Amino acid sequence: MKKNPAKVAIVALAAAAVSLTLVTSSSSAATTLWISSDLPKQGGSADQSASTNKAIKLLLKQRNNKAGKFIIKFREYDNSTAAKGSWDDAQCAKNAQAHVAARDEVAVMGTYNSGCAKIIVPILNQDPKGPMIMVSNANTNPGLTKPWNPGEPEKYYPTGKRNYYRVVTTDDNQGAAAAEFAASLGVKKVYVLNDRQTYGQGVAQSFTTNAKKQGLTVLSDGVAGEGWDDKATNYEALFTKIKALNPDMLYIGGIFDLNGGQLVKDKVKYLGSNTAVKMMMPDGFTGYPDFLALSEAEGAYLSFTGLDISQFPKGGVAEDFQDAYLLTYGEAPTSSFSVYGAAAVQAILDAISRSNGTRKDIFEKMKTVNIPATKSVVGTAIKFDKNGDILSRDITVMIVKDKTETFIKKITVK
Amino acid sequence: MAKTTAPSNVAKSNRKWITGYSIIGVLLFITYQFLLPWEGLPLGIYDAIYQWMPPSAINESLVYIIMALGLNIVVGYAGLLDLGYVAFWAIGGYCAGWFMSEFFYFLNINFLGSVPAEAPGIHINFWMVLLIGGFICALFGILIGAPTLRLKSDYLALVTLGFGEIIPQVFFNGENFFGYNISNGTKGIVMVDPIPVGVKNLGPFDFGWKLLIFLFLTAVMVFISLRLRRGRLGRAWLAIREDELAASMMGVPLMRTKLSAYAVGAFAGGLGGVAFATHVNGVYAERFNFTISIFLLAMVVLGGMGNVWGVILGAFILSWVNGNGLTAFGQLYNDRFGTDIDFASFTFLLFGLVLILMMLFKREGLLPESRLKLMLHEGELDDEDASSSKKKVGK
Repeated sequence: MKKNPAKVAIVALAAAAVSLTLVTSSSSAATTLWISSDLPKQGGSADQSASTNKAIKLLLKQRNNKAGKFIIKFREYDNSTAAKGSWDDAQCAKNAQAHVAARDEVAVMGTYNSGCAKIIVPILNQDPKGPMIMVSNANTNPGLTKPWNPGEPEKYYPTGKRNYYRVVTTDDNQGAAAAEFAASLGVKKVYVLNDRQTYGQGVAQSFTTNAKKQGLTVLSDGVAGEGWDDKATNYEALFTKIKALNPDMLYIGGIFDLNGGQLVKDKVKYLGSNTAVKMMMPDGFTGYPDFLALSEAEGAYLSFTGLDISQFPKGGVAEDFQDAYLLTYGEAPTSSFSVYGAAAVQAILDAISRSNGTRKDIFEKMKTVNIPATKSVVGTAIKFDKNGDILSRDITVMIVKDKTETFIKKITVK
Repeated sequence: MAKTTAPSNVAKSNRKWITGYSIIGVLLFITYQFLLPWEGLPLGIYDAIYQWMPPSAINESLVYIIMALGLNIVVGYAGLLDLGYVAFWAIGGYCAGWFMSEFFYFLNINFLGSVPAEAPGIHINFWMVLLIGGFICALFGILIGAPTLRLKSDYLALVTLGFGEIIPQVFFNGENFFGYNISNGTKGIVMVDPIPVGVKNLGPFDFGWKLLIFLFLTAVMVFISLRLRRGRLGRAWLAIREDELAASMMGVPLMRTKLSAYAVGAFAGGLGGVAFATHVNGVYAERFNFTISIFLLAMVVLGGMGNVWGVILGAFILSWVNGNGLTAFGQLYNDRFGTDIDFASFTFLLFGLVLILMMLFKREGLLPESRLKLMLHEGELDDEDASSSKKKVGK
């Protein structure tokens, strides 16, 4: 055992030496700037992230890798690990440091998970050469940009400067739109369920508040309704209890993955068909072929933050981009989140092209990003409010008809 | 010099490591604190360090090393299979979340904390929270140990597995724990107080100082491990590991000895948990899942159960491959050969292969403990003896 520390040292030094010799130094021209994506490339969200990265690469290729006078290069970060099988908090912290440390990197597109953004944003915010900006294509947790839980959002911005933007609207808007839609259907009494997770509770809470504002009677207790147990084998007891209250509508705030299939089956079994007692869910239930394949899903209403991919305007940049994606990769984008990733990069490129190439200036120019709907790859204008939230608060409402998501209407939340 | 003829493994001095350890520590500190931010450093080296061994990766692997050293006391020394070690990590992490953040925003307690006195929440000094976390974990170690240690091997493993599942679930659903919010559920507790080091509070870019603190914590664990192993308690652990019945016949109090292994092991979990919370600046319930327990166990087994340096090496390699190494290698490979292979997605394949190969060819780990090596190869020797004696008989 005596020799072991020495052995460890030798191994460490050898590893360091090998790594140094293996890597060739990359020289960068003065006008080359790097942007990066920060997404979970392993685990359940892997396909989604791969598609997002592809969309970004396509967008850059269409622009000849240029923004104004700068050459733009793109690198991908992975914020997940195999050991965790999903996004990893330590990986997020490490990536945040790496973004700041990479001298040629000026902006980040990401993250997919709001929890990860809460780690990265404060670090980018304190960048001595920054703040460095981050634009997300998928974070919907309201607390990142507006007052939600105690201390939010100020605690994510230690320097007081707002370096975080997102091109999708927040969960609270989705709840508001859903409540508005429920009222327009003539619903009077509604029961709210949530999946007991951040996302589900957020949506359910905002739905509950807004339903009350719309004059609906909310039969469930609590600010976010009742939580369903995702490990339960059936929900007979839950729905028998709900049936006695005789609601017109059931709002399920949550994600389909959390035993949503069983929940929906039991809803129809014990509460009746979706025409008798209506059922509505947020975008945690959209994009799941398994859900659409259920006969019990027929007639369910779904809402979606932003526009569904099928609702992007036809005949403009948005449609061209999707066609180009199909042509380049031989498949359609997995969901609209990937295209929103490209939209986030559009906003970043717009800021870069008007800047002098420093992080500080890009941060300043980001405040005045304004991409009209005709030029945006998602077909809606990209412009932010002072919190960093996108101005167009479009929520799509769809109905499940013949096992497909069918567009009903677009609600713009005020 | 020697008054008694103690066994060779006990008589060895085990303080020599401090010099070597300090030299490596100082070298790392200089590299990351002064060399890396130095503007004159060639960009090639700068990029290479950031690609292959960024400062946060070092700090992260030190946290893993602290955990693995704690688990090594339970599994490697005392031979008690623990499949739920992540529970102690969780408890340690939430100690940091509770006592070093604005989580209890309706309270205002500040005891030598690193934030202004008027800030809401409980803010206790980092160094004290370390101890608090360690001792709370040790207490939990004893609590779960007491009723379960009567069980042996597989049954004990199952109970620890249960414990490792229950504690994280409590935090996972802790937003409504009998009406109280104890963990913020899946939202996690974000923004933990910075570490005070007397002159200043460590910001997000003071890796060098954090590295020094984590190195110090690791050294404490190494010291504890080595000293305990040499002492009466450590020898009792080894005796239990090798033959429980024989140990109890020789007068080793089984319950007390096993419980102390759990308590010391859990203490390390608490230290690591608090350190990790300051490393990522938050506590997230999603981190504490079963795979992390297995990952830690793999570090101990791969490195060499019972040997402190082996465990450190195992933990370092695995956490590096998991967090950084494979991705960096993949990037290099793809750049060189113009391919587009997603190396990170092969991590599990690689882990599985390495573990199988290790079990086939080097069961005792990378840097094996001499006693364990002897034990693991005992069977082979017996077989050889048996076959040779048979041959003799045949002749």
